[in-house]
Amino acid sequence: MESMSPVERVLRTFEGKPVDRVPCFCAMMESRTANEVLGRPLLPMDKLMDLPPARFFLNKWGPALTPVFVRPTLASVLHRRNLGQIEMGFDAIWAYMDDTWIFLDAKTIALTTGSIFNVISDGYGNLTYMYRGPGITTTEEFDAWPHWPDADAVAQRVYRYYKKLISRHGEKTCIFGYGFFGGLQEAMNWTFGIDRAPLWIRRHPAHVERFLDILEEISIKTHTAMMDAGVRVVLQTDDFAYKTGPFMSPAMVESVFGERYRRIIRNVHGRGAKYVLHSCGDNTRLFDTFIGWGVDGLHAYENTSNVDIYKEKKLHGDRVTIIGGVGIDYLLSERSRDEEIVEKVKELIAKLAPGGRFILGPVHSEDGVPAHKLAVMIEAARTYGARPVSP
Amino acid sequence: MSDSLEAVRDAVVEMRDEEISSLVLACLDEGYSPVEVIEKAVAPGLEIVGHKFENGDFFLADLILAGEVVTQATGMLKERMSPGEGAEKGKVILATVRGDVHDIGKRVVGMLLAASGYEVIDLGIDVPAEKIVETARTTGAAMIGLSALLTTMVGSIREVVERMTEAGLRERVKIAIGGACCSQSLADEMGVDAYGESAVAAVRIFDGFTGVVNTD
Repeated sequence: MESMSPVERVLRTFEGKPVDRVPCFCAMMESRTANEVLGRPLLPMDKLMDLPPARFFLNKWGPALTPVFVRPTLASVLHRRNLGQIEMGFDAIWAYMDDTWIFLDAKTIALTTGSIFNVISDGYGNLTYMYRGPGITTTEEFDAWPHWPDADAVAQRVYRYYKKLISRHGEKTCIFGYGFFGGLQEAMNWTFGIDRAPLWIRRHPAHVERFLDILEEISIKTHTAMMDAGVRVVLQTDDFAYKTGPFMSPAMVESVFGERYRRIIRNVHGRGAKYVLHSCGDNTRLFDTFIGWGVDGLHAYENTSNVDIYKEKKLHGDRVTIIGGVGIDYLLSERSRDEEIVEKVKELIAKLAPGGRFILGPVHSEDGVPAHKLAVMIEAARTYGARPVSP
Repeated sequence: MSDSLEAVRDAVVEMRDEEISSLVLACLDEGYSPVEVIEKAVAPGLEIVGHKFENGDFFLADLILAGEVVTQATGMLKERMSPGEGAEKGKVILATVRGDVHDIGKRVVGMLLAASGYEVIDLGIDVPAEKIVETARTTGAAMIGLSALLTTMVGSIREVVERMTEAGLRERVKIAIGGACCSQSLADEMGVDAYGESAVAAVRIFDGFTGVVNTD
């Protein structure tokens, strides 16, 4: 079979058509790994943001500084992470463009959709964030929340970013566009608190609907902007499950989110693009629901959860593209041996590649994954993923 | 079981938080003591919820809704108890280990433990081993639940176990772990007493501990 471009290889895989080899995907590279690939930036961001003047200004004018300082800085950091993925030669990347953040003070960052995160150092000179808690705990706080995102403004920035990224790198890799943080359920869990979100659904349905209206609008507008900029695959994250199963019953997921996701996905399909849903945990009982919504690809199948990726291939492999397979808990960590990665790649290709609709990659966004382990995975995929699939 | 107790039990199972107050009051009006209502209606209801969760009929959201009903019921009933009545099952320290700030799973475990009659001392997230040891010493708690989501934080679990041993507390304090990066093999490797795969499993584990340990 003739050699294909990464974009052709990936898009044909989504359509279940023959490809020259199994594509290899990168699941959103962390700054630490990007620095390994591209070299460390001159100034460590964590130290820079911890300087007394930076702390002073952010503590005093955090929200006001967001458009002029924080947003461009964040965009630059995230762009490096995308460049790191492109540089490594993946067939597909989860581009990270995350434009709904606001600094509240030097140690606090919020999603404008209403959740609060700590700003912390990753221990390698970079800034990262960890969820702290809900930003909205009452209906009064919901009504008074001052930071709701302007979907049109976010979409314009997303368009400008992807236009540039596609024009410079669109031939090198298939860019999975990602425009803001979180999906409908996940954002609701963060904003109201996971242990309160079900109570909000029951007690404050009108507020929940208003919240989901905001999320649906921003989803559709950012996706449209990305596709107008040339993105062919849209990726959205929504962690519907945890280690042992879904947060909500399939019936509740369908009733609260079903129609909204159908509209979101129809919008993507209407412009000829593919839609990938990333959902962590064991989604075994939700895969039929997701496929019913029209997803083209599903990512995660975390090996540390109870999901069985091989069983899913047999059940749904003819209708949806399975993305993932390589664990980050051990295989893509410093603790593994390279031969173990190669063996796992061979096993995944042997079991998942026949019949198509399989893109190999890490099972999760890559927390603490060293670049050289990713390189081993890419090389093994190229060596053993060529058609016909090597035994 | 009387109709009124049955109604409380069913309200827990059916997650009817808007009705639980009046149903509990009806039991009290019939002459049941607060402890009887908990033991004969609330606890059996929670047990059914746990079974349904483990059988896959209920989901985490259902646990949360049922937990809210139980919290309301036990809150009302405790206000009406005499001093010394309805002693807690014991103190449990919960903490997300040093370096890890994930809170959600631990909070759900804490909610279910509290609803099941434990006194929960939640130390929060990113908790240093020294603080966990000191809390075990000062509160006399005989059970610790450690949460860890990040694979890179397993060393923090080991540190807690080592510090507890150095402090001479390990013999009298049981330790359980849970969270995305945890497994039975990790529990074995770390030398802790149990691994809980879910919030319901955590309650069962601590119920098991209370049969074998003495609180100060």
